[in-house]
Amino acid sequence: MAAITLDILLPRKFKFIIAMVSILGSLFAFLPIIFQFANYTTPEIMFEGSYVIDKFSLILKGLFILVTYLTFLLSVNFVESDEYYQGEYYFLLLSSLLGALVVTSSRDLLTMFIGIELASTPMFLLSGWKKGDQKSNEGSIKFFLLGVLSASLILYGFSLLYGVTGKLVFSDIANILIQQDLAQSPVALLSAILILAGIGFKISIVPFHSWAPDTYEGAPLPVTAYLSVSSKATGFVALIILMSKIFFESGDGLGIILVFISGITMFVGNLSALQQTNPVRLLAYSSIAQAGFILAPIAVANITNNFEDGVYASVTYLIIYAFMNIGAFLVINLLQRNIDSENMYDWGGLAKETPLAGIFAVIFFFSLAGIPPLGGWFAKFVVFRSLLSTGEIFGLSLAIVGAINAVIGLVYYSRISKIIWMDSPKEDVQKTENSIIPSPLKVVGFVSLILTIVSGIFPGIFSNLGEASSIFFNS
Amino acid sequence: MLSSFSSLESGLGLTVVVFLPLVSAIFIFLIPKKQEMLIKLVTLGSALLTFGVSLVVALQFDFNNAGDLQLGTKVTWISSINSNYEIGIDGISLPLLLLSTFISVLAIIYSFEHLPEPKNAKGMMSLILILETGMNGTFVALDLILFFVFFELVLLPMYFMIGIWGDKTVRSVSGLKNDIETRLYASIKFFVFTLFGSAFMLLGFLGLYFRGNRTFSIPELVELGSSGAFTGTFATLVFAVLFLGFAVKVPMWPLHTWLPDAHTAAPTVGSVLLAAILLKLGSYGFVRIALPILPEQAVAWAPSIAVLSAIGIIYGSLACLAQTDLKRLIAFSSVGHMGFVMLGISSLTSIGINAAMIGMVAHGIITGLLFFVSGSMAHTYHTRDMGRLGGNMKLLPKTGAILAFTAMASLGLPGLAGFWGEFMALLGAYNPLPGLNITIFRSSMVAGAIGTVLTAGYLLWMLQRVNLGEPKEEWLDKELHDADNYELVAWIPLVILTVLIGVFPKLIFGATNDAVIALVSKAFGG
Repeated sequence: MAAITLDILLPRKFKFIIAMVSILGSLFAFLPIIFQFANYTTPEIMFEGSYVIDKFSLILKGLFILVTYLTFLLSVNFVESDEYYQGEYYFLLLSSLLGALVVTSSRDLLTMFIGIELASTPMFLLSGWKKGDQKSNEGSIKFFLLGVLSASLILYGFSLLYGVTGKLVFSDIANILIQQDLAQSPVALLSAILILAGIGFKISIVPFHSWAPDTYEGAPLPVTAYLSVSSKATGFVALIILMSKIFFESGDGLGIILVFISGITMFVGNLSALQQTNPVRLLAYSSIAQAGFILAPIAVANITNNFEDGVYASVTYLIIYAFMNIGAFLVINLLQRNIDSENMYDWGGLAKETPLAGIFAVIFFFSLAGIPPLGGWFAKFVVFRSLLSTGEIFGLSLAIVGAINAVIGLVYYSRISKIIWMDSPKEDVQKTENSIIPSPLKVVGFVSLILTIVSGIFPGIFSNLGEASSIFFNS
Repeated sequence: MLSSFSSLESGLGLTVVVFLPLVSAIFIFLIPKKQEMLIKLVTLGSALLTFGVSLVVALQFDFNNAGDLQLGTKVTWISSINSNYEIGIDGISLPLLLLSTFISVLAIIYSFEHLPEPKNAKGMMSLILILETGMNGTFVALDLILFFVFFELVLLPMYFMIGIWGDKTVRSVSGLKNDIETRLYASIKFFVFTLFGSAFMLLGFLGLYFRGNRTFSIPELVELGSSGAFTGTFATLVFAVLFLGFAVKVPMWPLHTWLPDAHTAAPTVGSVLLAAILLKLGSYGFVRIALPILPEQAVAWAPSIAVLSAIGIIYGSLACLAQTDLKRLIAFSSVGHMGFVMLGISSLTSIGINAAMIGMVAHGIITGLLFFVSGSMAHTYHTRDMGRLGGNMKLLPKTGAILAFTAMASLGLPGLAGFWGEFMALLGAYNPLPGLNITIFRSSMVAGAIGTVLTAGYLLWMLQRVNLGEPKEEWLDKELHDADNYELVAWIPLVILTVLIGVFPKLIFGATNDAVIALVSKAFGG
């Protein structure tokens, strides 16, 4: 208990201090998580069921802290290179982390809403951090407006639930919905759809994805990496908790909507990514497509009621996706240091100048494509597994859609590796001599690299997670 | 079947054969680029050691029980999905495993002095080693997921091999706005085609897993399959996706279109490994997984496979007759030869599948050699255009002699290795498993027979254009280098093997026959 309080309070203590302390702080915050995990016996329930610490939430907290830690490392050189407000930058990221940590444990409407908003509000500011840059401003304004809209949608959905049941804690709401036979009522469905739309913005699923490419392009690269990994994961965690704790009896309708959204998201993301020339926009669309994959198991779980496999698949995917995507952004960052062009087709032959970045590119992008033995294959595999687990038609169709999309994905994921390894250098592009990779970036690279490869070769490490998701669902 | 692993066996030998190359590849990453000779020697040493261990494994192999899976092990790998590190070999996988470790050694010897631009020995050597791990692993894996991982592991190295060291001529591709370098087009086409097949194959594996008591173990699934656990629409669908996954790799007509591009564009070692080993992964998949686990479906699909194979044979040979590019001709000949392999498999008899096994090995040796020779010629002449070549026997007598010999072997001359696969495949198709539509198989057999004639036709024509006649004027005043020692060391063993297997086919059948008979009797009761 004390450890967890520490874990939540710790990041806050570092309001006005420099990068090092934030980085160390986030590392220290990792310790209580490990202790808790090692001493774990039963879920701890606090505040009358509003706040639950179980294995599931501990694993996700660990993920969020690690991702924030990597984002800090990514940021060090970036923030120093321009004269930005360092203290605020780190404070905002830490606040967002705190929000994410709260979401993982929240089991009532208020706590969850506060968590979601605490996680996303700082990002409005951070995405506009490049103040002089028009794209950055445009992106952050879009993000802000849609973010506010999404918050209000979520709030509206929550208030409907509260209005109907008069309860805040999820398990009470679910009980009342079932007892009064309201689980499949229009009100419940409406609130589910409102919440889905609200969270849909956070996780950038179609049709709520339009802000993502602009915001990603405009935001500073480390912030983009954080947005595409941590913010997205926060949204997904909230969605997973809500779907499996409140709306599990809501009938097939919701599930079918989710199935369609998931399939369309994959197609829209992948097909748009095919046409991008800016690598950050490419990753933005790729992360939209990946969201489709992460959503798929939850969608089908809503129909089959097999949440155990579904949650396991989604969370496994989220974790592996987090590291390979951070790695992918790192690659873009490293390559951009060497060349003065945002058009990736100008990057021909860059791997010869920074072979390490070249190897990173191969590992992370092909992992995103799901090529064994890199981690991404196992992520896709568990998704397919959960889709096919009951042999039910929606799962099967979604699996086929997923398989087709895996192939489309390969076409553009392979593109960067192709350009930097196989194409010949363009002569008219300005190159900047920058062969030394700063050590924080190297750390990010190798940490993500090791996690990506190990999770591909020894996916057994995720078996703990399977157990965690079954405890999560049955508690 | 698992009980047949005796307690003394630990699977250590096979594990070394699979992972030694990978470990060496990681080791090579750590050697500085400048120490090229050290890199080459470490690679060669590792490949030789791997080959040595695979020979030791072969010596330990109990040929009297070649139908049993031997020398393997089973260790928990991914407990949450009940997937295990389960490996082992029987008479079917042993020859292919040896072929793989052997050809890898030769490919590395050849690469000592013959690296196309941009040289980068470090990159090439580590890719060959990673590729070898994928190939060896596929042949020993007895768990569907393990199989899948190794099956896919070969994609990345081959993609980069073609894409970086491949043919740099610019060509136009219908459907693409801009002209593109052959290597870039070929590499991504190879990748996308194969991934397309295997993405669906993975869905099929999952289907078997859920219907088959949640196991990925191939021996266990074979037991279930032969007791009739998989039937109906489900089985049809699963066979369809497995077919897709394996047929792309073989490749069977009409999924073959990536092959001529990939072969033509790939550097010499890439073509050799692609032809000699990678294509076998597909046909091996049919024999190891698709037939025994889904016997009922195999019977239902056999006529279609036979027809597609027959079309492949005829189409491959006709396409060869139309080629002007030497490597492309050999690539299309692969389509034809793999057609014979698949025709043999589709007969579902022990003769036919034995034919497929010896056909795979023979094709690996012969076509591997053909690509070695033609790649080397392309390097010497700087062209693959047969219209410009000619009089090769006079210009490069050693290379010419080996080319002539290999072409003879490839057209199925009795006494050389290529003969058995074709001859017995036709024999198998003449007398397929009772109950199969005899008309279709006999027609396929006739098509295959016509194919052998066409094969002889295009290979002899190729020899006439390339090897015989007087050299063209453009070559007379140029200094052309005949095969050097590295090339001869890589080639001569293949020549010897071609003769040996041609004269003593028992070298292969001794291993495969019992295993094939066991497989056929278990699956089809025949």
